[in-house]
Amino acid sequence: MSSEKRVGMVEKSNNKRQRVNQVPVFSINDHHDVLVEILRRLDGSSLCSAACVCRLWSAVARNDSIWEELCFRQVSPRPSLSLRSVVSALGGYRCLYFLCIRPVLARLPKLLWTRDQLQLSLSLYCVHYYERLYVGAWLGDAPPSSLIFLRKPVNVV
Amino acid sequence: MKRGHGETWDPPPASRSGEGPSMADKKKVADDNNNNNNMDDELLAVLGYKVRSSEMAEVAQKLEQLEMVLSNDDVGSTVLNDTVHYNPSDLSTWVESMLSELNNPTSSDVDPTRSCVDRSEYDLRAIPGLSAFPKEEEVFDEEASSKRIRLGSWCESAGESTRSVVLVDSQETGVRLVHALVACAEAIQQENLNLADALVKRVGTLAASQAGAMGKVATYFAQALARRIYRDYTAETDVSGGSLEEVLQMHFYDSCPYLKFAHFTANQAILEAVTTARRVHVIDLGLNQGMQWPALMQALALRPGGPPSFRLTGIGPPQTENSDSLQQLGWKLAQFAQNMGVEFEFKGLAAESLSDLEPAMFETRPESETLVVNSVFELHRLLARSGSIEKLLNTVKAIKPSIITVVEQEANHNGIVFLDRFNEALHYYSSLFDSLEDSCSLPSQDRVMSEVYLGRQILNVVAAEGSDRVERHETVAQWRIRMKSAGFDPVHLGSSAFKQASMLLSLYATGDGYRVEENDGCLMIGWQTRPLITTSAWKLAGGGQSRR
Repeated sequence: MSSEKRVGMVEKSNNKRQRVNQVPVFSINDHHDVLVEILRRLDGSSLCSAACVCRLWSAVARNDSIWEELCFRQVSPRPSLSLRSVVSALGGYRCLYFLCIRPVLARLPKLLWTRDQLQLSLSLYCVHYYERLYVGAWLGDAPPSSLIFLRKPVNVV
Repeated sequence: MKRGHGETWDPPPASRSGEGPSMADKKKVADDNNNNNNMDDELLAVLGYKVRSSEMAEVAQKLEQLEMVLSNDDVGSTVLNDTVHYNPSDLSTWVESMLSELNNPTSSDVDPTRSCVDRSEYDLRAIPGLSAFPKEEEVFDEEASSKRIRLGSWCESAGESTRSVVLVDSQETGVRLVHALVACAEAIQQENLNLADALVKRVGTLAASQAGAMGKVATYFAQALARRIYRDYTAETDVSGGSLEEVLQMHFYDSCPYLKFAHFTANQAILEAVTTARRVHVIDLGLNQGMQWPALMQALALRPGGPPSFRLTGIGPPQTENSDSLQQLGWKLAQFAQNMGVEFEFKGLAAESLSDLEPAMFETRPESETLVVNSVFELHRLLARSGSIEKLLNTVKAIKPSIITVVEQEANHNGIVFLDRFNEALHYYSSLFDSLEDSCSLPSQDRVMSEVYLGRQILNVVAAEGSDRVERHETVAQWRIRMKSAGFDPVHLGSSAFKQASMLLSLYATGDGYRVEENDGCLMIGWQTRPLITTSAWKLAGGGQSRR
């Protein structure tokens, strides 16, 4: 809690002004680390909602450690730290979550993941990254996307 | 021709047999009962009765059009009763007059569905053709043309012949399409190219009216058959150094799980084989765009104990002067490896054919590295020239790899008899196209390119011969025999690979259609009940190979 004291002026009924000690104002926006800690505990949809609150929160929500927590909440045992450098090189946890983990979770609703599911998501993520950046010639206008099958099918009637 | 009501057909054939010039086959006309008169029309056309040989195909086509129109009961009976025929023995003019009388040619066939229930257009088990039809029709075994005639009698409503097949779908045109395709292939098998030509045009028109996967498959097969009839197969020399094929394969990679399955299961087998290696050397017999290796590098990077150093030797088609795509690919993979934190070394080998490879080219370092050989859809090409596959397998044996991963199509497209190959290919590619069709979430570009990719294979299987025909797929049972006799023992793929593969397939929206099966240590991915691609792993026989 902030220890700042604010002193304000208040009008009293006998037209005299008196100094009053006001309650110190606490704003979470001043404490990004606390905000990050709170956001880390949210689930995916709440986190996305939180990221829409204001520009500050949107910027804070881009902190990759939040998404790392989200990605691996289900994984047991927790993957090693070397994963961090790999995933960062591939584009970060936030992209990993949106591109791979969230669709995979939606289709394989298990509360606890094993290494196999994680490995599969990572492999798909790798392929996606490699394809986007490195594959040369392509026919047609649309960029390659090997993960297109993960998107929900559009109901065209 | 189809018969809506038996009685309306009697007058024209009877009058014809009375008026036309006497020929031997007219006796057949007189002898046959009314039910068979429609068959004789086609017989006469084929045998040249009053039809010039140059017009034969045309008359046959027109007869087919008539067939389709007149099966619609309402139209047929009324028009037939009203038309007046002069000199019906001249088939071509007779047909012309008939056609001009009928003014709404539709291809709906009401008749056949009454007397027999269709089978699903994708259930082609009753083909190879002859077995699908009752025995008594083989009395009319004139030439391959009798196959078409059976179509007419098959649809008769009198139930004169017993059905040996119970069909359960109402996609009548699809089944007719398939029958026409097989009939055409039979005609080619029997060297009756004129008939085959007529049939292939019929297939073309039928296929154009059939929507969905069946129509597309039929179109590709019809084109391939036409190329075979006209002996118009040129081995496509890809001046861009094979890059068109690579691009098409990329689209195929994106649109369906077969290649992903292949890569992921092969990678899992490799990972299990190199768990304790400090240096890994992978030889990829067909590098293409190198899509398999990023995932492997990532898995190696996360290995407990740190990543090994990774060396890749990629083999590709000969390069043109201006492009050095193999080296560029090597650069891209090197950059990726650097991002992963994996020590990487690359070498590209350009070879016209895999049998040109010699052990010395690989510069293996057996004392320090664990060697892996990987082949995805490459081995079957060598079956086109005798001795090639043996040479390659000997080369592979000489470099002493720890594991060899092989991915091949699960089909026998290498039979000696053309008709058998054709039937097998029809089954196989129908399943493939079917699976593409169902994934409706695809952008159409991907799907179209994948179909083109498969269409090229179809063209090769059907139209090419000799050393041009490189798509000589064989089943895993055949490969097992081949590998065992070459001195390799199978390595069973572990349950981890199976789990990953099942998970991958369950991610697909059409997930129910894809299946993973384990077959004596190999993993197969299939669509519905049909296995399509098989991944297998091998090691040198003798068991003395220690894993480093």
